[in-house]
Amino acid sequence: MIANILDGIIFGIQLGLWAAGLTLIYGLGGVLNLAHGQIAVISAMVLAFAMDAGLPALPASGLALLVGGLVGLFLDLTILRPVYRLQGEARVLLSLLLTLGFAFIVDGFLNWRYPGRALSLFIGGGAIDILGVPMRRGSLLASAITLVAFAALFSFFRFTTLGRAVRSVIEDEEGARLVGIDPARIMRLILVLSGVLAALVAVTRSMVVSVDVQAGFGITVLALIVTVVGGLGSVSGALLAGIILGIVNVIAADVIGTFMSLVVLLLAAAVTILIRPAGLLGVEE
Amino acid sequence: MSNRGRDTRTARSRWSLFGPIVAVGTALAVIPLWLDHSGVLMGVAVLGLAFACYAIGFNVIFGSTGQLFLCVGALAGIGGYGGAILADTVGLPVVVSILLATLVSCVTGGLLSLIAVYRSLGVIFTGIITLIFTLTFDALLLGLGSLTGGENGFLIKAGADTFLRKRIPPYYVMLALVVAFLLLHGLLRRSHVGWAWRALRDDELAAELAGIDVARYRVYGALVGAAMLGLAGATYAFTEGRVSPTTFGFAQVDVVVLVMLAFGGIGTLLGPVLGAATFTIVDEILIEFGQLRLVIYGALVLLLFLFLRRGVIPTARDFVAKRRLSQASAAPD
Repeated sequence: MIANILDGIIFGIQLGLWAAGLTLIYGLGGVLNLAHGQIAVISAMVLAFAMDAGLPALPASGLALLVGGLVGLFLDLTILRPVYRLQGEARVLLSLLLTLGFAFIVDGFLNWRYPGRALSLFIGGGAIDILGVPMRRGSLLASAITLVAFAALFSFFRFTTLGRAVRSVIEDEEGARLVGIDPARIMRLILVLSGVLAALVAVTRSMVVSVDVQAGFGITVLALIVTVVGGLGSVSGALLAGIILGIVNVIAADVIGTFMSLVVLLLAAAVTILIRPAGLLGVEE
Repeated sequence: MSNRGRDTRTARSRWSLFGPIVAVGTALAVIPLWLDHSGVLMGVAVLGLAFACYAIGFNVIFGSTGQLFLCVGALAGIGGYGGAILADTVGLPVVVSILLATLVSCVTGGLLSLIAVYRSLGVIFTGIITLIFTLTFDALLLGLGSLTGGENGFLIKAGADTFLRKRIPPYYVMLALVVAFLLLHGLLRRSHVGWAWRALRDDELAAELAGIDVARYRVYGALVGAAMLGLAGATYAFTEGRVSPTTFGFAQVDVVVLVMLAFGGIGTLLGPVLGAATFTIVDEILIEFGQLRLVIYGALVLLLFLFLRRGVIPTARDFVAKRRLSQASAAPD
């Protein structure tokens, strides 16, 4: 049981990270980025090729994060331009359709050019005992990196002026504009940040299991569900929802098998959304 | 207009409804004359008609009542798998199986709509709840492998020796569904239901204030659309003789149907058929590109939503109306 819960927490922290980038841009600009998983896959491929070319893992990972951020910037500067001109549900719908088109292009190209290509970062060394449960070093390192990333995110939003500016835009775009914050620039910044987070998903995920060229949509869909359960726009909600759903998933997998565990996870998500449409830590509108 | 008799006017309006549907039906009915030599191409054409049915069903739900149901494939799959299991495993006659499966699909769609309406979920949340339903359906298909055949799919033995598995008849069966669905949707749009749908699409609050039971008319839309999806899915399954998770998969059905409908024009009567026909042909042309097909598909989606956001039919209609207007102003009388 303890082993299950620990596994669930480790998977859940990952899920939280998957959702963090998605939830930020939705909360900030009402943009649903269905190419989130594809950004992760692009970064994974960059990392794999950089390491093939002889670059050590650390600078190669840095390069992958950079590329993730650049893809975010690219989306902001190109296909999201017309999206920003719309408001409300029309904006969400158009963003969803345009990023879906972009996701197809990325998926199709990568699967055509590099079929079956996968990234896995092997972390050597034996298992480490935690509460009497042997845990793999790769999973622990991935979780540690993810938690550090979350800590950095939280302190960014709490302690820096820029982070506070982002929060003010999420809360009240008009008010933020009145005190001299440019929502368009904040949005660009957050798309870059969300791209970096997607790349970090690729790096940490590949320490646990291999991330292959087809992983994109799977990542996006789970990230979307965690985002909604956690509350749109809430990073702490994403982490909380990720951990809860991670534990539910691992325990259900142990009790009734893998396929049905997904059903349990989905039902848990559906029930949460129906009871609390704003999500666990979201604000009721 | 005022000097024309009432009879001519109803005749005209009846013609304006039936005319285009008859024209589309006739145009599609002659297609087998060119394709009947090839079983493969006939299969493609039948699938194209199935997609036209799915797009019409989705159009009733999303286009007419504004509910983003991202479970088109799953509702059609309830029809397909339900029909297959009822006919083969339970042993019911094919027609009874199809009708029962359609009923299950219809009720499921109605329930999803009830949930969305009573929790007052917006477009996006309805989309996410129904997306979760799709994922659950997919997981159940794989998880209940002993019933559904899991990843390999389900070979349907019932109906194997009937006309449903011949080369040409399935085409006309599916075409009959397309025409029937178009007629039903067209007639509904002209009834009080259609008026209510238009009102709640334009302004939900205003419709509610005008005394329209918005919740009820939304659920009507979902019931009708889901029944169409279930019936089309079940019928297609029996003509194909096999169902598998990809037959009704999210990427294979929902995404494609959304693109088809957006291309033809969301909420228009014939948009779904135009979209289905166009993308069936595009898909067939692109087939030699293999994986690159997805790239081209993605690029088309981008171009479509960047430059032709409202779809072909509304854009063309605007164009014609504008030309008429400019001609009228250039030469009065």
